[in-house]
Amino acid sequence: MPPKVDPLKCDACQGESEPLCEQICPGNLMTLNKETLKAHCRDDGDCWDCMSCTKVCPRQAIQTTMQYQLAYFPGKLIPLVGINSVTWTSIDCNGRVERFVIRTISGGDDDDEE
Amino acid sequence: MAEPVSSERVKPERINIEADVLIIGGGTAGCLAAYEARQAGGEGLKIVIMEKAFIRNSGCLSAGMNALNMYINQGSPEDVVAYVRYDFCGAPVREDILLSVAVEVNETVALMEQAGLPIKKREDGRYLNRGKWNIEVNGSQLKPITASMAIEAGAEIYNRVYMTDLIIVNGQCEGAVGFGVRDGKFYVCRSKNTLICAGGAAGLWRSNSNGDAHHRIWYFPFNTGGSYAMCKRAGAQMTSFEVRIVPIRTKDTYSPTGTLAIGMNAPMVNALGQSFMREDPYYVERGGHTAPTLIRVLAFERETLAHRGPVVMDTTQGDPYKVAGLKSQYLDMSPCIVLYWGCNDIDPSKEPIEVDASDPAIVGAHAGMAGAWTKGTSRETSIERLYVSGDALGGAPSRFISGSWTCGRLAARAMVAALKDGDYQLADLDEAVIDDMENRTFGPLIAFTEKEKEGLWTDGTLMNGILPKQMEDRMQKIMEEYCGGRKQWFYVNETYLGIARKHIQRMRRTQLQYLCARDLHELQLAWDVINRLDVCQLVIEHMDYRKETRFPGYVNRTDYPDLDPEFDCFVNSVWDPVTDEVTCFKVPYDQLVPGDRTKESI
Repeated sequence: MPPKVDPLKCDACQGESEPLCEQICPGNLMTLNKETLKAHCRDDGDCWDCMSCTKVCPRQAIQTTMQYQLAYFPGKLIPLVGINSVTWTSIDCNGRVERFVIRTISGGDDDDEE
Repeated sequence: MAEPVSSERVKPERINIEADVLIIGGGTAGCLAAYEARQAGGEGLKIVIMEKAFIRNSGCLSAGMNALNMYINQGSPEDVVAYVRYDFCGAPVREDILLSVAVEVNETVALMEQAGLPIKKREDGRYLNRGKWNIEVNGSQLKPITASMAIEAGAEIYNRVYMTDLIIVNGQCEGAVGFGVRDGKFYVCRSKNTLICAGGAAGLWRSNSNGDAHHRIWYFPFNTGGSYAMCKRAGAQMTSFEVRIVPIRTKDTYSPTGTLAIGMNAPMVNALGQSFMREDPYYVERGGHTAPTLIRVLAFERETLAHRGPVVMDTTQGDPYKVAGLKSQYLDMSPCIVLYWGCNDIDPSKEPIEVDASDPAIVGAHAGMAGAWTKGTSRETSIERLYVSGDALGGAPSRFISGSWTCGRLAARAMVAALKDGDYQLADLDEAVIDDMENRTFGPLIAFTEKEKEGLWTDGTLMNGILPKQMEDRMQKIMEEYCGGRKQWFYVNETYLGIARKHIQRMRRTQLQYLCARDLHELQLAWDVINRLDVCQLVIEHMDYRKETRFPGYVNRTDYPDLDPEFDCFVNSVWDPVTDEVTCFKVPYDQLVPGDRTKESI
């Protein structure tokens, strides 16, 4: 599931030495285009689909897409990471929406879990 | 496209680091090793972690995990050993190591719960178990929580440094060298003790999907055998490289199936509607629905080969409440399957989940046994002051995440104890040796600057050079076709292995000189393929040496299809740097937990 970056949302994580997606990618795949100042995945086929970049992006500019050889268009899975939980929104190919709120860490003071 | 580096290469800046404890690989085992080294070694201890990626989200745990597969919900550590042994059809395992892990695994899990890991609970307050040896967690942040253990222990962490080789002087490990994946610097780390825990090896065989889904495989594709290759090249004794894992997982996404099999008790069913593990006498006499992993893998292969596929896991008969929870469980470890179901309009409560075999992987801590051989329970290899843990440690399978955390702690404790007893000093290194290591580390980049001058085709490709991806394709084709890939349904014989040996030797001996890297990312890919070729050699030699079929499903030998009591032992090996030959030999198995090895004790 290669990560795709929306050019209208990506701001290269201004102020950071590297965009957060580039910092976090375990495969060294996310990289910043020095001319456009937008991030992209340097090789779609090398991505393991761990979604670390998609979760960490502060602007929600990254969408993890399904490889077309494996599944039909359209369909989306969008994570929104909170302090103690992550809210996943799944929109299937028929437009059906499902939401999942899942705990990510225990013991914090600011519990944002419903 | 890669941005070419300047053809006039300047000598890289050199970063010198000193450590009491050097940890190569900031993953499951490495982070807990750092934690324990601080506990045991006190404030003054200099702990250094070299991490190829970014420690907060690197390695096998980067997508999360929804269960811990080693936890004693009932019974004793001895029962764990009996279970692991049973799950490998009674094959020899390092019972001493497994016992040492099992004794402390529950305590380690409690430690991680304190660190913030949400563990699901039953109404009575106990951990929510999945069978005898598993517990369910909300583990999407498993890696950041694991990393926090190392960070809070005050380990000095170097991210984006790819370690290439160990520094060996007079048979002792004196540290390691590597390159900065982003900064291009040469890192020389001298250490009193070194721990390798840099994961197993994916990508030796071909992926089922190509193109943009080439890495949609079960095992973490950026673990490329560095652990094994570094130990092997250092001259360490290696073990059990014939015991690869063939993962039967959800088709296309290769997401874990424990959630379906153990969590929901979903049976495998063939195209005839037969729940074959329960109905076919061949499988029933080998354990039925709860047969050892090897038998279930073999059953999938046999059913498919007999044209009774596709094989599915029937989720439609399961508890509806549990089916509804499936998506949540997968979001914690393999979110892509939820997207896959959405895009393909699949509802697992209405239709069963098809399974398939992913490409084999070489691991030591999951359901495979490869790794360095270690002395007793010290985690020290046959090279003095070189330790291994996690997937790098061989002969002791099924430790999984919780066992690897524990194993890292135990390794660190042994290392600190050795430091206290040993009065080790940092070595004075021979500059010429380090210069050679630098040239070797940057070799593919240097080769590019040379080959580029020899000419380019009109499409910009090298007339006299090979890029890492091309070499990976060649290697995977050889392994797939001649070393029992999925294309051969994991069957091999001496003739096939002989061809695999010939080609892998030729790649190692005559082709690596053409390997070129145009930039630092390609240098990483180049080292990935160098390391994988080292592991391929071990796999072929070990598979060929074990002239029997002790691990059906994983390695099916058509020329030696049965068990041979002569091979009721470990197969170990040592590599000779002069001849580039691997010598295999037998090491006896020591049964510590009494009882029938083919039976569970509880």
